[in-house]
Amino acid sequence: MLKWIASLAAVTIALTTLAYGADKPDKITIGYLNLVNAQLVTKHLGLIAKEMPGVDIKYVKIGGGGDMLRAIAGNDVDFGGLGNPPAAIGVTRGLPIKGIMVINMLDTVEAMVVRTSANIKSLRDLKGKTVAAPFGSTTHYLLLQALKDDGVDPASIKILDLAPSDIAAAWLRGDLDAAWFWEPNLDKAVKNDGHIFMTSGMMGKRGYPTWDIGVVMNAFAAKYPDYVEKFVKAECDGIDFWLNNPAKTAEIIAEELTLPLADATRMMNGTAMVPCDRQLTAQYLGTSSAKGQFVDTLVATADFLVGQDRLPKLLPRDNFDAFVTPSYIEKAVGK
Amino acid sequence: MSGDGGQIAVPMTPSVSGNLRPLRMPKISRSFLLSSLSIAILLGAWMLVTEMGWANELFLPKPQAVWAAFVKTLTKGYQGSTLLEHVGASLYRVLVSFALACLVGIPLGVLMGVSRDARALLNPLIEFYRPLPPLGLYTLLVMWLGIGEASKLSLLFLAGLPGIVISTIQAVSSIDPVYVRAARTLGATRRALIFEIYLPAAGPQILSGMRLSLGFIYTVLVAAEIVAASAGIGWMIWDAAKFLLSDIVIMGLIVLGLTGVALDFTMRLIGRLLMPWTQLSR
Repeated sequence: MLKWIASLAAVTIALTTLAYGADKPDKITIGYLNLVNAQLVTKHLGLIAKEMPGVDIKYVKIGGGGDMLRAIAGNDVDFGGLGNPPAAIGVTRGLPIKGIMVINMLDTVEAMVVRTSANIKSLRDLKGKTVAAPFGSTTHYLLLQALKDDGVDPASIKILDLAPSDIAAAWLRGDLDAAWFWEPNLDKAVKNDGHIFMTSGMMGKRGYPTWDIGVVMNAFAAKYPDYVEKFVKAECDGIDFWLNNPAKTAEIIAEELTLPLADATRMMNGTAMVPCDRQLTAQYLGTSSAKGQFVDTLVATADFLVGQDRLPKLLPRDNFDAFVTPSYIEKAVGK
Repeated sequence: MSGDGGQIAVPMTPSVSGNLRPLRMPKISRSFLLSSLSIAILLGAWMLVTEMGWANELFLPKPQAVWAAFVKTLTKGYQGSTLLEHVGASLYRVLVSFALACLVGIPLGVLMGVSRDARALLNPLIEFYRPLPPLGLYTLLVMWLGIGEASKLSLLFLAGLPGIVISTIQAVSSIDPVYVRAARTLGATRRALIFEIYLPAAGPQILSGMRLSLGFIYTVLVAAEIVAASAGIGWMIWDAAKFLLSDIVIMGLIVLGLTGVALDFTMRLIGRLLMPWTQLSR
């Protein structure tokens, strides 16, 4: 009898804690990449707080994909964003994350800037020059890919690993001849004896699309699936706002990044936002039953990184397929 | 118990020095055994944890994986340089900046130790800059000197300098004034005083200051190689971490540690050769 009561009590306690646990997180931490996209709009308008009243929302700005991977590996964020190379690295190394939405497609917002006075007309002219890119990021990947396509040996170039803000500083000092990185820092190089040689969008047309994907930690998603859906919904609203109110969006970006309005507008036009219902088409995430081209891009990226000795081995396609998870967007857009 | 072990070994080497050897032998082998034991326990725990699957392989790879990473980096290299080239690039930075720190720090310390005026002039600067974390200076150094070797070497130099200066000052100012007075009465010039009295008498303490400062330079190495390096053991660790290659990271740390031990050992050896009369070598 006593045993029966005890076990009943235990079950009750377990059920209530489970119910409370599944109910609501006290706090969520969103790691966002320091670049120009609709996440800034979502953040500025407080759309996530609107979806999740009573939850403490903490935003952490993260410089690039390498740092984001470390933050995820250290369990420092609940939501994050990764370009396709860091996402491919994360999947291959078994990080407990799911890709839940397209944050942005990278176009002219990422570009290779070359020093005008260095007289660089083709990638071959980079031989013996100093070129910077944040290693492990989308632009590092595209730089190596572009060199490979043109048959230029990367070893003939001094390729340096610098964070975007450090690239801007080194550029102003005149230490670099070329750099492939992104706004808002890209502009500082362009305005100081630089011009755009190639954009990430151009590489996308060549068959090397680059994008950033929103990710969630598996443990968070298992515990609070509703809140992942709320997060996606808020970000979708941010994307819709971006698409429908370009003038207002430019003002928000100018304010968030402390930039002149004209610069903010230009940077805005360099990033393509994908409305959430379109993210479920074959070109992007696809649907839960038929995953889209993002899986192909991830496999191709991982394959490339294996060739660069940056990853130990190429995992079967299933792993990348399992990472791309359109189910939250499907719920958010009501499909 | 260990004394028995030692005595068994003795009869095989009939020695003239009699009972000195059996006393020393077990002492060495005992500490050697204990040291080996602690390494073996650490390695055993590492193997146990990874073999039983208690640790995520992403964070703690198996010892075999780390060994494989070591062999691969040694033979095929990591991102364009072999392990020896990475170690070489780092050692170059450490040793050049250490040499510069000695060249500047020892004369500066002797000067400040000998002359009260010099000490009054320079003390505020040294005292202010000594507790500054070198990394705080690094952003400024990169802005001033760029992303090349100059900023890395200066960071390491600045990290190593205060240790040498301060221990040299202390060494020089703690010399028994009797030596100085005796030399003066014998008509020693200022130059002779420095080279015949101050430096030899202060030598051991200067050398221990050098050892400390080399150690300090070494601890700043990884940080110095984070900005825009493309070779170096610290860079290799940092770069591998970006790609979550934890086997390379752990292998790099072990190499970094062993290289540090080797450097310190070399310093002690040099001390023993240069100043055989000192106690420092112990």
